[in-house]
Amino acid sequence: MAKTYDCLFKLLLIGDSGVGKTSILFRFSEDAFNISFISTIGIDFKIRTIDLDGKKVKLQIWDTAGQERFRTITTAYYRGSMGIMLVYDVTNEKSFENIKNWIRNIEENASADVEKMILGNKCDLDAKRQVSKERGEQLAVEYQIKFVETSAKDSLNVEYAFYTLARDIKAKMEKKQEASNPPGGRSGAHQLKANEQQRKPTSWLSRCSVL
Amino acid sequence: MEYDFPNKFQVIVVGTGMVESIVAAACSRIRLEVFHLDYSDHYGGLWASYNFEGLQKFIKEVKTNPSMKNVVYNLQEKWYINEDSSEEESKQDSEDHKTDDGKAEGTKKIWRRADFASEYRKFNIDTTPKLLFSRGLLVELLISSDIARYTEFRCVTRVLTWLNDKLAPVPCSRADVFATEAVSIVEKRMLMKMLTSIVGYNEEEMNNEFKDWNDKTFKEYLTHKGLTPNLIHYVLFAIAGGTNSMLCLEGVRECKKFLMSLGRYGNTPFLWPMYGSGDLPQCFCRLSAVFGALYCLNQPIDSIQTKTEEDGKTVVELKCKAKTLTCDHLVMDINECPKELLSPEPEEESSDISRAIFITNETIMPSEKEPLTLLRFPPLEEGGNAVTVLEVGPATGSCPKGLFLVYFFTPKVKDAESDLKPYAEKILNLSDGDQTETSDKPKCLWSLYYNVKDTNGSVRSGIDNVHVCRGPDAALDFDRAVEQAKEIFEKICPGKEFLPRSYRYNELVFEDVTPGPEFQREDEDADGDKQ
Repeated sequence: MAKTYDCLFKLLLIGDSGVGKTSILFRFSEDAFNISFISTIGIDFKIRTIDLDGKKVKLQIWDTAGQERFRTITTAYYRGSMGIMLVYDVTNEKSFENIKNWIRNIEENASADVEKMILGNKCDLDAKRQVSKERGEQLAVEYQIKFVETSAKDSLNVEYAFYTLARDIKAKMEKKQEASNPPGGRSGAHQLKANEQQRKPTSWLSRCSVL
Repeated sequence: MEYDFPNKFQVIVVGTGMVESIVAAACSRIRLEVFHLDYSDHYGGLWASYNFEGLQKFIKEVKTNPSMKNVVYNLQEKWYINEDSSEEESKQDSEDHKTDDGKAEGTKKIWRRADFASEYRKFNIDTTPKLLFSRGLLVELLISSDIARYTEFRCVTRVLTWLNDKLAPVPCSRADVFATEAVSIVEKRMLMKMLTSIVGYNEEEMNNEFKDWNDKTFKEYLTHKGLTPNLIHYVLFAIAGGTNSMLCLEGVRECKKFLMSLGRYGNTPFLWPMYGSGDLPQCFCRLSAVFGALYCLNQPIDSIQTKTEEDGKTVVELKCKAKTLTCDHLVMDINECPKELLSPEPEEESSDISRAIFITNETIMPSEKEPLTLLRFPPLEEGGNAVTVLEVGPATGSCPKGLFLVYFFTPKVKDAESDLKPYAEKILNLSDGDQTETSDKPKCLWSLYYNVKDTNGSVRSGIDNVHVCRGPDAALDFDRAVEQAKEIFEKICPGKEFLPRSYRYNELVFEDVTPGPEFQREDEDADGDKQ
C-alpha cells in the first residue's frame, strides 16, 4: 500500500467542557459547524492531511470524549501526543482560569517536549466576552506558548491555528534529526492491526519445517 | 467542581480495574447508559501503573488505609543506595550537567535517590505486569473492537530460562533454533515431532489423544515420549511455564497457546503494552467514554442496597457523596463490595499472589539491542511454584534511560519476600554495595515486595443485578479478566454482541479510503526492531 503521507502527527484538544473543542475539530476536519453539540459523544478523533512546505502531513486530532468534564482524562490519552491545543471560551472566565490547571495536567502526563498552543474560542460572541484578548496574550507570554483567538462558528483562525502548531512540530522534529538524535525511544513500538498481513506462516512448525 | 449528572443509569460500574473497564466498554458500546466511577483519584485499581512519585503514594496508602491493607499486604520497600548527603548532591549536580552534554558513554551513571525523584515522571511501574499472547483473547479483542488504536505494543524480544544454574535463551524462532547449540539435531527432530502433534490437535482430538493421561503429569508424558532432560526442561518450564506436578492436559494447552502465538508479530509469542499494563484498562474506559459513558474518579461509595420499585422492578441503589444513584445493574470490584451482598458460601480458594519489583542499572543478560525479556524459573525447590520474571527497559516507556525494571511474580506460598528473594538473588546483585563495583549481575537500586489477595466470591443468591469482578491473578496473561468480563456482559445483556467493531462509526476519513483502521504506523517492521 502506497503511503499517502510523509509524516503523522498526533494532536490533542484539551480544555473545559463547552469551550468548543469539538466544534473546532469539526471546523478544521470537515469545514462544518453544528450548534447542537451539547457534550461530546461518539467523537474519537478526526484526520486531515495537510500540505506543509511540500510535505504531506497527516494530522490525527483527538477529542476528549467528554472525559474532561470531571477531570477524568486518562493518562493514556496523552501518550505519544506531539501537539496540544489548549482551548478556553472567551465568554467564560472560569474556562480561562482553568488553562493553568490543564497546563499542569499536561506537564504531569504528556511528553516534556510536546508543542502547545492556546486558543481563545468563540471570539465571535463579543457582546458576551469575559476574557479580553490582552489577557489571553499575557497568559501565552507567561508560558511561552503561541496564542490566537478563534471562532469555530465563523471559521476564524482555525486553519491558521492547526497549521501553526503542525509547522512548529515539524520544525522541532527536523531540528532533532539534524542533531542526529533519533526521535524518542518509541521506535519499534507498533499498533495491532486488524487487516494485518501474515508476515510468515502461522505456526512454529511451518517455520521450522526444514528440520 | 460541580457534580451535576443524572441519578438513574442502566449500568453503574464501580472500580476501574481490567474486568470492570472491559464490561463498561462493552455496555456503552451497545448504547446502555453507563456511569463508571472509582473511589481513588486514578484509573486501574489493582491493575494500575504509577510513576515513581505515584508509587510512593500507593505504598503509603497501602500502609495506612485499612481496607487496602486487606488486599495488598506484606509490603516491603527497600533502597540499595544510601540516603543522599547534601554535600554529595551539590557535587553530583555539577557533574550531571557534564554528563548530559558530553554523553559519557561507557561509564555507568551513579544513581542517587534524588535522581529517582527528579526523573519520577519517566517511570511507569506496573502493580500488575502481564504479557499478551499474540493470538490470545485480549489481542483478538483489542483488534476486533478497534480498541487497539488507543495503544501501542512492543514485542518481547527473548524468552529465557534458568538451566544448569545459569540463564539460557529458549529458542523460539527458526533462526534461534538453528543458532542454538543447547539442542542437538536429534533432539530438534524429537522436539518437532512432539510439538507438531500438540499444535495439530483440536480440543476434541486432544481429549482423545490424552484421555489416558488425564491424571498424569505433563512431565510423565514428555518422558514417555522419549524427550531428553534438556528438552523436557525447555518444554515444561520455558514453553508451558509449568512445574513437575503440572497436569498433562494443562501442559499441552499451555504449549499450544505458546506455539499458536508464534510468528505473528515478532520472534516470541508475546507483546508488552507501551507504558505498561496499567494503560490497558484506560483504553477500554476511553472507548466507553466515546460511546457516552460518564466518568468520575474520587467517588467512594457509602452504601449499596437492592430495592424493589413500585412497578416490581429490582434496582440497585448507591449512596455516594450525598447523592443517591440507582441503576438496573451494578458491576463492581469484588474488594469494594459490601460483605452483606456476597454469598456466605465459601468459594474455591485461590492462591494469593507474591510480587516483587526491582529497579536495576543494567539488563540481566546483555544483548545487542535493548531487550524485553520473559524469564520463567522452574521451582528451585521440589514442590515449589514456578516464578515468572519480566524485564522491561526505557524503550517501553517504563523507566529512564540507564535503568531496567524487573518484575517477579508467583502464586503465594509464604510471603512475597520469602517466595521471591531466592530467585531474585540468582540473577540480581542485591547487596548494598557500591554501584561501581564490578559484578556479573545487574545491581539492584530499589525493590518492593508485596502480596496481593486474589479474592474470590459470588453475589448472594437471589440478587441477580449485582455482578462482582475479581482482581488480577498470578497468570502471565489477561485471559481470566477477559473471560470474566464476557460472562458478566452476557448476564447483563444476554445475546448481545460483545464489543463489536466501532471505527466506521467514529472515524470519517477524508482521503483515499483504505480498509482497516487508520491509526497505524506503516512501513514498520513487524518485528518491532526497526532501526
